Amino acid sequence: MVCTKTERPLLPGFSFRAIGVAWLLACTGGAAEEAAKPSTFDTESIRFFENEIRPILAENCLDCHSGTKAKLGLQLNHRRGWIKGSDYRPVVNLENPAESLVLHAISHTPGKKVKSMPYEKEKISDESIAKISRWVEMGLPWPETPGAAEEDPRNHWSFQPVKPPTIPEGVHPIDHLIGEAQKNTGVAPAEKADRATLYRRAHLALLGLPPKFGELSAFVADSRPDAEAWPALLKKLMKSPHYGERWARLWMDVARYSDTKGYEAGGRERRFMHSYTYRDWLIQSFNEDMPYDQFLRYQLAAEQLVDWNKPEKKHLAAMGFLSLSKNGRSELIIDDRIDTTFRGMMALTVACARCHDHKSDPIPTRDYYSLYSVFSNSLEVGTPTIGEPKSGPEYEKYLKDLAKQKKVVEDFLKPKLDQIAKENPELASDRTRLMNKLDRAARRELQNKQRVVDKFVADSQMEPAKAIILKQKEKPSGHAVLIRGNPARRGDTVKRHFLSVLTSDPQPIYESGGRLEMAKDISKPDNPLTTRNIVNRVWMWHFGEGIVRSVDDFGIMGERPDHPELLDFLAHWFVENGWSVKKLHQLILTSRTWQQQSHNSQEEKNRIADAENRLLWKFDSRRLELEQMRDSILEVAGSLSDEMYGHPVRILEKPYSTRRSVYAFIDRQNLNPIFRNFDFSNPQESTGKRPNTTIPMQALFTMNSEFVQNQAAILGEKAQSQKDGVGWLHRSVFASEPTENDRILADSFLTAFESESSALGPRQTNTEWSYGWGSIDFKSGKVKFQPFPYWTGDSWQIEKEYPIKNSPLSYLQARAGATHPGHTNNESVVYQWRAPDGMTVSIRGVLERSSVGKGNGVRVLIASESSGILFDRVLDPSGSKLVTSLQDVTLAKNENLYFLVDPHENNSSFDSVRWSPQVFDQSGAWPKSGLAETFSGPATPATPWGAYAHALLNTNRFLFIQ
Amino acid sequence: MNGQLPLRTRRDFLSQTGMGMGALGLSPFLSSLQASSRSLNPLAPGKTHFPAKAKRVIHIFANGGPSQVDSFDYKPELEKFHGKEVPGEHLSTERKTGTLMKSPFNFSQKGESGIWASDLFPKVSEMVDDLCIINSMHANVPNHEPSLMLMNTGAERVNLVRPSMGSWVTYGLGSENENLPGFVSLCPGGVPIVETQNWRSAFLPGAYQGTHIDTKNTHISKLIPDIRNPRMPRELQRKQLDLIQEMNRQDGEKTGLDPDAEARIHSLELAYKMQIEATDAFNVEREPENVRQLYGETLHGRQMLIARRLVERGVRFVQVWHGAGQPWDSHSEIAKNHGKLGQEADQPIAALLTDLKQRGLLEDTLVIWGGEFGRTPTVELPTPGANAANTKLGRDHNHHGFTIWMAGGGVKGGYQYGKSDDFGFKAVEDRMHVHDLHATILHLLGFDHERLTYRYAGRDFRLTDVHGKVVSDLITQR
Repeated sequence: MVCTKTERPLLPGFSFRAIGVAWLLACTGGAAEEAAKPSTFDTESIRFFENEIRPILAENCLDCHSGTKAKLGLQLNHRRGWIKGSDYRPVVNLENPAESLVLHAISHTPGKKVKSMPYEKEKISDESIAKISRWVEMGLPWPETPGAAEEDPRNHWSFQPVKPPTIPEGVHPIDHLIGEAQKNTGVAPAEKADRATLYRRAHLALLGLPPKFGELSAFVADSRPDAEAWPALLKKLMKSPHYGERWARLWMDVARYSDTKGYEAGGRERRFMHSYTYRDWLIQSFNEDMPYDQFLRYQLAAEQLVDWNKPEKKHLAAMGFLSLSKNGRSELIIDDRIDTTFRGMMALTVACARCHDHKSDPIPTRDYYSLYSVFSNSLEVGTPTIGEPKSGPEYEKYLKDLAKQKKVVEDFLKPKLDQIAKENPELASDRTRLMNKLDRAARRELQNKQRVVDKFVADSQMEPAKAIILKQKEKPSGHAVLIRGNPARRGDTVKRHFLSVLTSDPQPIYESGGRLEMAKDISKPDNPLTTRNIVNRVWMWHFGEGIVRSVDDFGIMGERPDHPELLDFLAHWFVENGWSVKKLHQLILTSRTWQQQSHNSQEEKNRIADAENRLLWKFDSRRLELEQMRDSILEVAGSLSDEMYGHPVRILEKPYSTRRSVYAFIDRQNLNPIFRNFDFSNPQESTGKRPNTTIPMQALFTMNSEFVQNQAAILGEKAQSQKDGVGWLHRSVFASEPTENDRILADSFLTAFESESSALGPRQTNTEWSYGWGSIDFKSGKVKFQPFPYWTGDSWQIEKEYPIKNSPLSYLQARAGATHPGHTNNESVVYQWRAPDGMTVSIRGVLERSSVGKGNGVRVLIASESSGILFDRVLDPSGSKLVTSLQDVTLAKNENLYFLVDPHENNSSFDSVRWSPQVFDQSGAWPKSGLAETFSGPATPATPWGAYAHALLNTNRFLFIQ
Repeated sequence: MNGQLPLRTRRDFLSQTGMGMGALGLSPFLSSLQASSRSLNPLAPGKTHFPAKAKRVIHIFANGGPSQVDSFDYKPELEKFHGKEVPGEHLSTERKTGTLMKSPFNFSQKGESGIWASDLFPKVSEMVDDLCIINSMHANVPNHEPSLMLMNTGAERVNLVRPSMGSWVTYGLGSENENLPGFVSLCPGGVPIVETQNWRSAFLPGAYQGTHIDTKNTHISKLIPDIRNPRMPRELQRKQLDLIQEMNRQDGEKTGLDPDAEARIHSLELAYKMQIEATDAFNVEREPENVRQLYGETLHGRQMLIARRLVERGVRFVQVWHGAGQPWDSHSEIAKNHGKLGQEADQPIAALLTDLKQRGLLEDTLVIWGGEFGRTPTVELPTPGANAANTKLGRDHNHHGFTIWMAGGGVKGGYQYGKSDDFGFKAVEDRMHVHDLHATILHLLGFDHERLTYRYAGRDFRLTDVHGKVVSDLITQR
């Protein structure tokens, strides 16, 4: 090889000296490695390059072949790139320069299997080709660019060992370090928040639930000093089983938890069926404060760490971290597992190195495929039972039904397989191979039948709890680098090892499958990324932002830590304290930094110095997350179920579950949009930080959803029976007494709501419209109106039976925009519209009757209470449409307007009509009101107390952590 | 806008929503505050990289794959070679296909431009002078799922998590009307294949996800969840809202409102208005008779009219799907099946173009029509098994070459771009990949597709990934 010697004359007058190893190439292996050494050349050769070569390159090559987006990965804008070649092969041959691929390409040499260059352009001049040839022969002289010799990314902060700062005695280390950071910045910290505020804040942070008034007041009244009372309280809170429910859910964001696999074509079953065992394991592990290093190892390799014959077998469920991945082709499943593992546990975007060396971080593609090999040697085989086997008659019945279901499949399959076995006797004993011979139609049919069985099993929820695990292959094999991530283009086979940036030379090789070794490498106390990652995430979960704000990217593209010493202190302290997450909470929550108020008397000044509050001069208040919000609503209404664990429940569909949100069924493919409206994590991939947005769709949910209304109604009903309803509600919802102002607002609201409601009178629906039947006096215009008493779910009618036989009421009915009158004028259809305010309105609409030429038509009338008949027309049987428009109808508040369909001369044959009149307030102050668009069923009117409770649930006081 | 949501100041937000400080009686001190970098209002209008020609998009998705040689890519040679083998390479597609098959539809020259179009879309083809027809589209594979993903998200692997085009556009441009979602996907009767992934926001915030509306429903409360409070008439709800806001205001006065809390106060008002505005937007009954007649009183007419009402109200991106599943997937009886679909879609689409034009909206509204790919000029052969019966005079999927058209929004009218081969099998001249289409669409909207990025998991992502070039030939010079 040419460049193994440090100094070697190439051509008279040129010298070539290696000066170092560029990190980028440290791991690319092969002949290029040594040649990659940047070199110094004498002035003459450099001048030759600058004057003759560089212009040719600039004009012809660099448009496509430079920078990180270079075609084929071939970068010709620096010498390293020339040496490395394309992603596929070298382009220069320094031992035999004439055989360099690049020269063939520009000379358009036939038969060399290389595209002619410049691509789709004219060949460059022979003179230029000669110059390039000479330059290659000279060994690619290139000037050394001082400073441009890349700063070695291995020196990046996050790869350095954790260096804890020294903390003076007697200070809280967090406050000390934040205080140091605030010095000389002009920023002043906020006051300490009061006990009630801190209690609520801690309760929501640790348990995800709001506090109860009694407990909060007891703490506020506790005579012990804060230094005693507060740590004791934190310990007490963390003993609650609700703690695990809150913190498991946070980790589930990292683990891209889902109860379904993702998209499956052809209606195949998507549910995992046992995903919940992973979630339950998380809850238990957080509650037991499992040391975090062990917590990580179990999630990566529990099957090699626990005795399957002992109760510790339950830890197999931990492997859901890996196994609950997206479905798809194997290389994408593995990519997902690598990404979730490294971004989640080490804040490293290793997956970026799938198709090329990481563009900024020291992660070569070979590292990626070395880890890939760890995962490609892990198979999804079987789901061991970890729960109690079920028993009892219900379970017996399930087993019987299941056997029946399976028999259907077998009955279908058997004759087919028998037939194949007859034709291929050599396969008769091998069921798998027989199955492989099934024709396409049979396979499809089999899939359809199997789907039914799978659905039955998933729906029944009768299977005992199982763990979804991975297992090592008996004989692990290495894996080839897939060039540019393409499974069809295999490069060198790589050995299994850990990330080279974190291992010493020579790299320890994983002899076995490697997953356990990888787990150990990730969870080593001196892995600076793992320890910084978790303390940073816990910090974010308490403060809203991490010390490193790009919580899942500690690479060069990520952010730098705002407080590097603090980060290192916490990382070190955490390991020293037994990797205990609970102790970490205790440390953070006892700091003055965390205990600050969410507002600062010097807000304006501080903001000028530090608009983003990176110096932590106050506690950033924030909206409750979806789960905190939903659970809080259930909790304050006294509805929250304390049932733990088990199969997931659908929380946004009727009947609304009252279980905690951590038990929600998460559908990876078709997540109900309400989840993401509230910034819930994307269950497709590991989530670092949820977005923080405020959009009206969120308010629509809290203002209008049936779920929230139901809980508000429960609260309202309870409040109504209290002597001091307002006080009771405030204590329940906010865990605080109402202020004087609160009481004034409450009283005036309750009174006004009450009186407005009663002024409106009992209502058939909650819109301005009522639907019924009756008659009109054609002279006076007086209308007799009776509301329909029966609601079918989409239409109003007299009773359940329809049509009513032998009665003039017969076909009387009102649907959205369609109706039919009864037999006579007395059974006309009547729609009533009540004006919500005094106003002048216009009316629009078209009545349509489809049975043209049949019957005798209909008579259409519009009348108001004060003016009588305003419109009176007959649509005769020859017509199909009648425009029913009016202008300038003046109405008093609560005055009724009537819309009638009369069968006309007491003949209702063929009188099925469509009519959807609309009322417009001509001043525009009130939105228009159309019969069809607002058509609704019976009102379940909110009571004043229910409406008041509902309002409280919508306040910032309830929905924010202060 | 690398790395985070477009930064918008609180002050912008207040002026955009028409609610100055006075409206809610907030302390004047707050008006001097800058919003923190956490974006409070992700749908506030964004800034483009350069002046935009289009401000909004209606993407009419003929899902399943409409046939180019039966619509806008006239191939007289197909007539001559009807029933004969393809001379030259017989390209492979999803299934086996046989001899060339002429179109059962009649082509003629239309408009002043004299562009050939068939009577599959009789009314739309009368408007060729408004259309910019791209005959040289190509995608990567002949299967629905990956091609849908490619067209909608720029990444064909179903299991890659990429935001949809509508999400990217809404992320870039925000919404002009915060009383409505910024991105709406109309699909009657259910969802297309690959389902909600076609309009999801992936790693972009949920505010940019498409709101799916099943336009088969006519009842507003079924169109948008929680759009109405079933227990409280509006006048009482207003009272309730006033109470909430008064408590928020009093609480805020004590300590000074922080931007998040303040943003929520505004979003409550927006939600209150949305209840009315959304109801109104979907109520096509409000349209005058002649407009409803123009669109036709059919499902497709109604949803196209809804699309217009939405963009007119400032919705940024409206996708209109032909239907659930993959309706345009005519593997058999192209004459009958395409014929029926054309009949359903033609009048509403023509009406949309006419109507937008009359309102002066077409100028800055980009209308896109097309499927995830096209169909073969060859006849699909029956395959043994399940498909044996239904393959008769139909066409297979074709990603080698297909046609889409665009109109308005800064594209040339009466213009044909690119060519397919003599039979319309493969794009051969000025080939335009789906990535190029995306780059061009973003360009029309005022974005450099290489700069509209979002930092996620250590990378700056974009709709066109590492591909895409803007095809400026399509774009008007004005």
